[in-house]
Amino acid sequence: MATFIKLAWRNLWRNKRRTIITITAIMFAVLAAVFMQSINRGSYEVMIDRMVSFNTGYIQVQDYRFDDESSLDNSFYYDEELRDKILNADWRIDKIVPRIETFMLAANDVSTRGAVVLGIDPDKEHEFNEIRNILSDGRFFEAGEQSVVLGQGMANRLQLSVGDTLALMGQGRFGMSASGLFEITGIVDHPIRDFNNQVVYLPLDTAQELLSAYDHVTSVLITLQNERHTNPVAASLKSALDGGELVVYTWPELMPEILELMEMDLAVPRLLTVVLYIVIGFGFFGTVLTMTMERLKEFGVLLSIGLKRLGLASVLFLETLLFSLMGVLFGLGFAWSILKLIDPINLSGEAAQAVIDLGFDPVIPMSFAPDQFYTQGFYVFIIAMIVFLFPLIKISRLNILEAARS
Amino acid sequence: MSIIKTENLSKVYNPDTVPVHALNNVNISFEEGEFTAVRGPSGSGKTTLLNMIGGLDKPTEGSVTIDGVDISKLKDSKRIDFRLHNIGFVFQHYNLIPVFTARENVSFIMLLQKRGKKEIRERADALLDKVGLSKKKDSRPVQMSGGEQQRVAVARALASEPKFILADEPTANLDTESAMNLLDIMNRMNKEQNVTFIFSTHDQRVIDRARRVITMVDGAIHKDEEQHVAEQA
Ligand SMILES: Nc1ncnc2c1ncn2[C@@H]1O[C@H](COP(=O)(O)OP(=O)(O)OP(=O)(O)O)[C@@H](O)[C@H]1O
Ligand SMILES: [Mg+2]
Repeated sequence: MATFIKLAWRNLWRNKRRTIITITAIMFAVLAAVFMQSINRGSYEVMIDRMVSFNTGYIQVQDYRFDDESSLDNSFYYDEELRDKILNADWRIDKIVPRIETFMLAANDVSTRGAVVLGIDPDKEHEFNEIRNILSDGRFFEAGEQSVVLGQGMANRLQLSVGDTLALMGQGRFGMSASGLFEITGIVDHPIRDFNNQVVYLPLDTAQELLSAYDHVTSVLITLQNERHTNPVAASLKSALDGGELVVYTWPELMPEILELMEMDLAVPRLLTVVLYIVIGFGFFGTVLTMTMERLKEFGVLLSIGLKRLGLASVLFLETLLFSLMGVLFGLGFAWSILKLIDPINLSGEAAQAVIDLGFDPVIPMSFAPDQFYTQGFYVFIIAMIVFLFPLIKISRLNILEAARS
Repeated sequence: MSIIKTENLSKVYNPDTVPVHALNNVNISFEEGEFTAVRGPSGSGKTTLLNMIGGLDKPTEGSVTIDGVDISKLKDSKRIDFRLHNIGFVFQHYNLIPVFTARENVSFIMLLQKRGKKEIRERADALLDKVGLSKKKDSRPVQMSGGEQQRVAVARALASEPKFILADEPTANLDTESAMNLLDIMNRMNKEQNVTFIFSTHDQRVIDRARRVITMVDGAIHKDEEQHVAEQA
């Protein structure tokens, strides 16, 4: 085998220029493919990352009816027993964060706005998303306080600030009326725009009392040490909670809209990638074709002296593989280095202002998701396999004498 | 027993279009230790005969038996294996793997035979010494003259310890001095180690060195004679 590799490697360099051109072409295709993906995915990843870390968590447990009808009637009883059951379902679970969520009206003296009311355990919530760090004013409440923390946008619209009083009105569990007055202890600058404009945080127990939903929550968020464990942990949870009324969602299931948008945005770069690979594939094929045809005589001699067709095919396979391997490695290496170098692209001037007005940061972040790197390797490998069909067929049919005469 | 024996060996090229009768009913045998030249006009069937004996092509009719094995009945991969272990080849040109050095070329065939590393190394060195290429062991074919390349080819053929070596016009591309030099080496191997050589040639000086001369005409054996060769100095 070592000899075959040596033979393949040296054969590759018999025509240095041709080999370098071929490898460079593959390299650029890989580079361009990764690049187009990375730029398009980066912003979505930031968005998804914020959603996951501030809102959904990797996994959530909810009542099975809650997804269809996000009503408090579809909340569920949450006690230490259930907490332990969830925690013990899988050792890869890091923390669990209970929440009660509903929609209410928030009012000051003169005006009223719709609000997403989130009852949270401030310590657990902070451990989950470090929410205290986004306070722009005041402090976070402690459990049991009759206090709220507002999103900055909400506070602005109601013209309220720390120390003022907010009125909440709405419906509790099973149609009970719910209303109360709360002191504003803090204001957060929430990174998710909709939240910034709508959210009202309350201590979990205060919210449960307000909503007549004692010991009830609408969802339990589950955090993991590593995102990769999402699916296996979700599977363990599903079996642990099997038979009850609770269901388990993973983050892609919790925000399908964003993922759909991302897929749509990736359609064009993916199409371009396919076109690029087809073009490069033909070039690659051309190189392998000439490399095969110009050596038929040599192949004839090798078969004559006793190299089996399989052995000869292995040498040519190694040549094709080495070509693609070098193209892919250089391509990925360059792509990664360049992406690291430019990440993130900072916008300036009018473009930056336009993005800020939309409520986003004026940067274009790059994606470093590993799958966009190794999928390119996989594609090039597939191309190499297709290209290799030519020498393979040629060798299997090669007539020694005709080869020697060619 | 003869090491090579053909029976009613015939070869027709393009039987369906323009049939060419390259060999007609050839019955011939070769013994161990022969040093034989096959001569004849162009197109008389020398190459075809050597290819049949070497198992590079299948006869249209008749058979080729080597050491009791009818090689025309072997399947493709079995035949390749048979060649690897039993037959040495020296061709007119494009003999060597261009990206390998002389030593690697000689070693390669032994690697295919799955011999041990140490044996391969020692044999390759010894054989290259014997063909007078001690100084060219690490040269690639492009760095060697035609004669040197053919000597590497002979060393490679010897390396596999075949039952016999077939050489189709091995000196055709060489100048007289290189040709005689190559022949000296083949001759010496034949004398010292009893290696069987069968070669085709047009060159009278090469023919003069053979102990048996077979003359072909129109795909048939026209003459088959022993000849006495004066001992070389
Ligand atoms: N593959 C082939 N297809 C068709 N005809 C062939 C083929 N190979 C050889 N022939 C024909 O068979 C006959 C014998 O050819 P062969 O090559 O054996 O002759 P040769 O004695 O080696 O000639 P030379 O001295 O020119 O090498 C010739 O008429 C040749 O044209
Ligand atoms: Mg010939």
